Amino acid sequence: MNAIADKYAEQDVGSVFLYTHEAHPGEIYPHLTSMEQKFKHARDLRDVLGVMRPIIVDSLDGACHRMFGSMPNMTWIFNHAGIPVYKSNWTDSNSVENALIYFLDVSGRRKSRERLAPFHVERLDYRNQDREAFYRGLERNGTKAVTEFRQAFG
Amino acid sequence: MNNAELLSLYNYDEFIHEKFGRWMRFDSSPPLGEKAPDFPLWHLDGTETQLSSIWKENTLTVIEFGSFT
Repeated sequence: MNAIADKYAEQDVGSVFLYTHEAHPGEIYPHLTSMEQKFKHARDLRDVLGVMRPIIVDSLDGACHRMFGSMPNMTWIFNHAGIPVYKSNWTDSNSVENALIYFLDVSGRRKSRERLAPFHVERLDYRNQDREAFYRGLERNGTKAVTEFRQAFG
Repeated sequence: MNNAELLSLYNYDEFIHEKFGRWMRFDSSPPLGEKAPDFPLWHLDGTETQLSSIWKENTLTVIEFGSFT
């Protein structure tokens, strides 16, 4: 996602990471109890995990996150009027880039004065599922996070 | 639900379905094509902003929701 942010920035595409709540709390990164802790975890997302996009932090009660469906790692694309044009219940860079290419083409067609009308489409996209890498990520949170995920999903 | 209960439930301390399942509500999220609700948000330096301030900055804005864990 960092690479996509860099790749499309010159085409007036902004990219931010919105910090929500701890999906898999562990001993090292436990559940959130204060905004100070939330800012600390968000900075670690940048400094430890290398998220280089601007990181924006939601309120402690997750008001924004909850309104948009509360999924642990979803992605939305908004136009400049605040209208969502893409929403995905999981983040997949291929899916996001595919959507950006489409919407940038739409923007170009509008600039060419082509008359366009929106319509809704549903599509099932596919993401890579690397369970071993996922477990390595959980270990950063603490062994509790690994244990609880194994108990929930095996 | 009062605010203390909401904070505790939203920031659950265990990844068990009884605690995380209630928040998986993507199906009832705002529809595409209609202006989204606005919310206060914060930069890492603690300064306040708005979701609307973010989406107004560019023709398109990609927002990834997530956390360290």
